[in-house]
Amino acid sequence: MQAQEPLTILIAEDSAADRLLLSTIVRRQGHQVLTAANGAEAVDTFQKQQPDLVLMDALMPVMDGFEAARQIKALAGEALVPIIFLTSLTESEALARCLEAGGDDFLAKPYNQVILAAKIKAMDRLRRLQATVLQQRDLIARHHDYLLNEQRVAKAVFDKVAHSGCLSAPNIRYLQSPYALFNGDLLLAAYTPAGDMHVMLGDFTGHGLPAAVGAMPLAEVFYGMTAKGYGLAETLREMNAKLKRILPVDMFCCATLLCLSFQSRSVEVWNGGMPDGYLHRMASGEHVPLPARHLPLGILSAQAFDDRTDVYPMAVDDRVFLLSDGVIDTCDANDQLFGVERLQQVFAANSEPDRLFEDIEQALRDFRGQARDDVSMVEVSLLESTQAHGAAPVYSDSGQSCPLDWSASFEFRGATLRRFNPLPFLLQLLLEVHGLRSQSGAMYSVLAELYSNALEHGVLGLDSSLKRDAAGFARYYEMRAARLEALQEGFVRVHLQVQPRGEGGRLVIRVEDSGKGFDVARVMQRPLDNVRLSGRGISLVRQLGHNASWSDQGRSASVEFFWEIEA
Amino acid sequence: MTVPNVDRDVLDTLREVMEGDYPELLDTFLNDSEERLSNLRATKDADQLMSCAHSFKGSACNMGAVRLAELCQDLESNAKDKSPEALAQLVADIHSEFADVRPVYEDEKHHAHTH
Amino acid sequence: MSVVTEVSQDGKKLTISIEGRFDFGRHQEFRESYERLNEKPESIVVDLKKATYLDSSALGMLLLLRDHAGGDESDIRVVNSSTDVKKILAISNFDKLFDIS
Repeated sequence: MQAQEPLTILIAEDSAADRLLLSTIVRRQGHQVLTAANGAEAVDTFQKQQPDLVLMDALMPVMDGFEAARQIKALAGEALVPIIFLTSLTESEALARCLEAGGDDFLAKPYNQVILAAKIKAMDRLRRLQATVLQQRDLIARHHDYLLNEQRVAKAVFDKVAHSGCLSAPNIRYLQSPYALFNGDLLLAAYTPAGDMHVMLGDFTGHGLPAAVGAMPLAEVFYGMTAKGYGLAETLREMNAKLKRILPVDMFCCATLLCLSFQSRSVEVWNGGMPDGYLHRMASGEHVPLPARHLPLGILSAQAFDDRTDVYPMAVDDRVFLLSDGVIDTCDANDQLFGVERLQQVFAANSEPDRLFEDIEQALRDFRGQARDDVSMVEVSLLESTQAHGAAPVYSDSGQSCPLDWSASFEFRGATLRRFNPLPFLLQLLLEVHGLRSQSGAMYSVLAELYSNALEHGVLGLDSSLKRDAAGFARYYEMRAARLEALQEGFVRVHLQVQPRGEGGRLVIRVEDSGKGFDVARVMQRPLDNVRLSGRGISLVRQLGHNASWSDQGRSASVEFFWEIEA
Repeated sequence: MTVPNVDRDVLDTLREVMEGDYPELLDTFLNDSEERLSNLRATKDADQLMSCAHSFKGSACNMGAVRLAELCQDLESNAKDKSPEALAQLVADIHSEFADVRPVYEDEKHHAHTH
Repeated sequence: MSVVTEVSQDGKKLTISIEGRFDFGRHQEFRESYERLNEKPESIVVDLKKATYLDSSALGMLLLLRDHAGGDESDIRVVNSSTDVKKILAISNFDKLFDIS
């Protein structure tokens, strides 16, 4: 039997003989004894000396035991100070009154020291248990506060990283819980230098900080590369490699990435592990599903990673709708899932496209009765191509030391054409010329257009008239991927020439390809056309740049940009 | 002569527990009891009789004075119901029972000193 | 959920059967089922006949198993998946990593 720890025990008993007897018994059991002759003295002594346990006579003058017990319990607060009533009241009466007053046990007279020792031991065990519970509760509460604070800090840092996005653009609508970050949900949007828009809806495994921590490097890659003009494929490769490197094996990020091109009226889609997205065609009312064709990010090595995207044509006002699995996985009281069928019923019943979010939220509420906090939705529509988007970076240095008289030529051949996208690099080079920075969007668009024409129509020999309808569109991109994969020969050359001119300067861009060329005269005769899916590239180049011309039977294109130094 | 109604086993336990303080306990009890007896005689108020009897009962019980404790219980339970004469009789009984058992405790004191 | 393991006579094939919810609560048990063996099996079968539910932490556990069993060189089959479980595995495209039936 474990030895009883010595306690400080208060004995409140008005009969001197009984008090003496009890004190002796208790002292013999190894405890320290305090005494009181009535209830008031008992409360007073308790307040001053804080005994561990109280033996309380029930009936005493001045203040009886029951009232003293109530007061002592109130003074003790959360801590347990066991009170054992000493009584020669009849048993059931005694028990009832004792418990009412907050007593924990009672001891009948004549005092039996064996029973008393046993009761003291039992009460002391309870007292220590209570003390442990309170201690652990306080520890947990403190720890919880630290955790909440850590999350606040993490979120503040993340918000700084994510602020450079364009989620507030007029063509984006989204719904995201404020706790999204800690549910692993991520929503990013940014303009490319050409005015296209990259959008990503992601869902990290796990919850809390581990989920949030992966989001930051991912967001940096997304924003950095998009701003430099990298396409989806390169950005995806980089994001996958990064996550694969930094995350533990069992963590990954499901994601859907979109590249909306207002100029080419198309959307490029990559879905790794997310629920189906939907392309809503306004004209036909059709909801084309965009299913997951890939593994989530962070699982495959760089060599095994599949960056192939699907491209769909989009008309003005068509929308792409993405959602996290919080919608589909919403459960009702019987553990039934909301599911894809119900979602499609909402689509079918939805009469006002602008109210789609409200309709879905209502359907979820009707189904479950309360909202989940991890539902993320985003809807991106194709608006008329706008000129005003994303301010060009403005630098405050004088521009005297930038290169103003130079030329550079590049030739990209065969295998390099397969995997390398030179556009971001070329753009960065041109941005060294400060005078050109305010036109970076236009320059990039023109360069991209000329390069893509050189590659696709020139080197790969694809016919852009294929893209006249949706089926042809898909086939065009399939053929593009296949021919690119098989490419061995061929080249694209890019020549850049920068010269001073008066107070400013002139940039000449020339792009040549090894293809068969085309009938330049015929194409030039067509009016500048904004509606057709194909053949718009040439119009664009002529609109955005100066003195656009084609030579060598269409294999060589040239266009100029001018700038003036601002005073 | 009445047989003293004191439980010897209780006395043995008390002696064993109190050790050297046994005489002090006996003294305290005897003094307390004298005081209680005079309180009982002095008051006619039922509530006061009840609480005094209750208190006396407790001590008597702890000290092994079984019959004395019984009488006090009787007074405590019935203080409100009995007539003043009946109450007076009970008090007298208590007084007399104490007189009977008192020598036992005196004797205990004596033995404790000589051992 | 419980995890039951069975090794073939020649020690070359390990079968791990999952019963109930395959989720984070069973992380420890699942890892122990393949980490504790004396000999590394040549092939592994994960039997989901009695599995009622699969979440992203279960997918993570499968990735850990695959990594432990040699990554690209591993031979892991996931069998007896219910329609619901198959759907989850299909959306995450895990059929590109595991033989699923």
